[in-house]
Amino acid sequence: MKRQLKGLVAAAIIAGLMAGCGSTGQQETGKAADKPAEAAAKGKLSGKFEIQYFVGGYGDKWWKQAISDFKAANTGLDIVEYAGPNVNTEMKTRWISNTPPDLVYIAGAGSSEAQMVADDQLMDLTEWARTLKLEDGTPLLSSFFVKPGEYNGKMYALPLVLDAWGTWYDRSWMKQNGYKVPSDFNTWLDTMKDVKEKGGIAPLVTDGKHPYPLRGLLMPGFAAEGGEKLIADLVDAKEGAWKSEPVLKVVKKVEQMQKAGYIDPGFAALNHTQSQMNFLLHKNAFIPVGFWLPFEMQKDVPQGFDFGFIPTPMQDPGKPFAMLPQISPLAIAKKAKNPEAAKAFIDFVFKRKYAELSPELQGAMLNIKGVNLDNNPKIPPYLKEVNALVNDKSKVTFYSLPHPMSADLEKPVFDQLVSLMLGQITAEEFVQRAEKAAADFRKNSK
Amino acid sequence: MIASMVQSKAQRAKFLAFCLLPTMILFAVFSVYPLISGLYYSLFKWSGSGAKKTFIGLGNYARLLEDPVIPKAIGHDYFLVFFKVLGIMVLATFFAVVLTQFRIKESGFYRVVFFFPNIMSVVVIGILWTFIYNPDMGLVNSGLRAIGLDGWTRPWLGSLTWALPSIVLPAVWAGIGLFMLMIMGGISGIPASIFEAADVDGATKWEQFWKITLPLVWAQLKASIIYIVITTLNGSFVIVQIMTEGGPNNATHVMGSYLYQQAFVNYNFGYAAAIGVLILALSLATVLCLQLFLKREKIQY
Repeated sequence: MKRQLKGLVAAAIIAGLMAGCGSTGQQETGKAADKPAEAAAKGKLSGKFEIQYFVGGYGDKWWKQAISDFKAANTGLDIVEYAGPNVNTEMKTRWISNTPPDLVYIAGAGSSEAQMVADDQLMDLTEWARTLKLEDGTPLLSSFFVKPGEYNGKMYALPLVLDAWGTWYDRSWMKQNGYKVPSDFNTWLDTMKDVKEKGGIAPLVTDGKHPYPLRGLLMPGFAAEGGEKLIADLVDAKEGAWKSEPVLKVVKKVEQMQKAGYIDPGFAALNHTQSQMNFLLHKNAFIPVGFWLPFEMQKDVPQGFDFGFIPTPMQDPGKPFAMLPQISPLAIAKKAKNPEAAKAFIDFVFKRKYAELSPELQGAMLNIKGVNLDNNPKIPPYLKEVNALVNDKSKVTFYSLPHPMSADLEKPVFDQLVSLMLGQITAEEFVQRAEKAAADFRKNSK
Repeated sequence: MIASMVQSKAQRAKFLAFCLLPTMILFAVFSVYPLISGLYYSLFKWSGSGAKKTFIGLGNYARLLEDPVIPKAIGHDYFLVFFKVLGIMVLATFFAVVLTQFRIKESGFYRVVFFFPNIMSVVVIGILWTFIYNPDMGLVNSGLRAIGLDGWTRPWLGSLTWALPSIVLPAVWAGIGLFMLMIMGGISGIPASIFEAADVDGATKWEQFWKITLPLVWAQLKASIIYIVITTLNGSFVIVQIMTEGGPNNATHVMGSYLYQQAFVNYNFGYAAAIGVLILALSLATVLCLQLFLKREKIQY
């Protein structure tokens, strides 16, 4: 009896485990792989090709277009798409059990390029990526706005969609009220003073629950002050970096804003949509956030609201704006069963053609320089403006992080930033605590 | 004849198996297995999103001791336990006594009103109260402004000082109904003759409450307290996660929300499992202490 019971329990556990691993929302695009002979006749690629892509605020129109074009060019492939807003969670069991899809678009909640590299899940693309070219033969790597993340000199993921952090304002509202659009930190302070005095509102709002102010306010400041060397040291938690002079100087600027009452005192209670809503309702004048803001909030935009975008003006007068990208890359699984198809797909979409389609189909720019958007009337004006801005070297300098900051470092530093922005600690205390967080991070990531 | 009336041993075993097996299987799959695997994973450095696992022995537990958020989170957990037990028990007992003994006409209506939050999901309650506390548009601050108390307005959930107390209120509000019903059940089990006799002897309502009602519903009170403590230690995660995500600057993190953050935001699944073991140990210890503390002679009149 006892033995029987044990057997039953074991069987139930196994059944439960198997049931837990099976379900994901998958769609089959084609069935051609069942006929290998036909596949061989029409194209070199054959077999099953699995793509995992996150679908968020940008929608999936661009993806559907790219995949159907790719399918038409490679009839021998059986393309399976795993997509949706929860795809990263749904596919977790596949990655844990070492049977991942071939190609992954690393974006959205529950995904992290740095973590996937740390978990040794991605294929080393260093050599192969050098061979990629655009339509006109220019090497792909030199056409990127943002360089691929580097981990000990190796690259594992190619940045596809370019998001960048900057500061938004309402162009027409600013004009109506006679507020000047800032061009550096000093003019920003002047405008904020004006907004506070005339408008009676706290000029700046941000998400207080997620590290937005760290990415959108501090990091551009750090980049403008200390360049790529500094931000790389900060991301890598190099000893002394977080309490270095340039860091303190930038943090002092935030402290100055806090003391002057320019930061919304309620920001710590707001998540990003709530803070964006406050901004749209003109309860605040500026919000540091990514390119996705207009697309994400499109249903709530009041009439007459005219989005204006500048890279966050944390830099001293006379210096160009510093802009920090947040990129969503494409990568191939190390354990991919059809790496050739995955490579072909990457080569297929990293072209000017798909870069031109992207702003129209998903309201986002691809990470490719020199794309002409002027002639397409379907593209919103702010995107054209952003495109012109980021292509103008005299106004904006792009700074790439060597790789995204690990959440284990970002979260504790952000926590202290919240205290600073609430006026609970000084800039000096902030840098000490951030340095301590970096030390803990070094210790725990060994 | 006798043989057919007495069940054979085999029949009895079959019957027992029929009753117990489904429960045992569910228990094994959903309690024992996760418990053991939680213990197992707490010995690894594992992101929870890949196949790569490194055995680090008690490394995660050593990290627990050094993590400055852990003592804070434990403190917040017991802060919630204390104020939830106090708030819920006082109010639930008070309402139960009023609704059963004061013969109020609308008692049925109030019963529904007080029980209503219990049929709402905690997620809904959390979102609702986040709106109520919203610094700009929320009911609390608008109300304070409307009655001229502008100085009292604050960004409740965004304040390092006020965020945690602000979470207690909805947690108490959401909890009252169920325990009120439990205590009402207890009170209605007390024979009316005892209260009548007390009335004749000239005991005030207050004396009746302390000397009769409270001792006789002690079993219900004890069960309620233990239930609140356990659900708070294991379940405040939901309301914290919805309302503040542990912020600002960890001012509201409870162990459960910190576990979630470590497992699914910071990719430290092994470390999160160690936090889970800590929650288990603390819950067990707390319940054992409570059992001793609440031990009281069973009273019957």
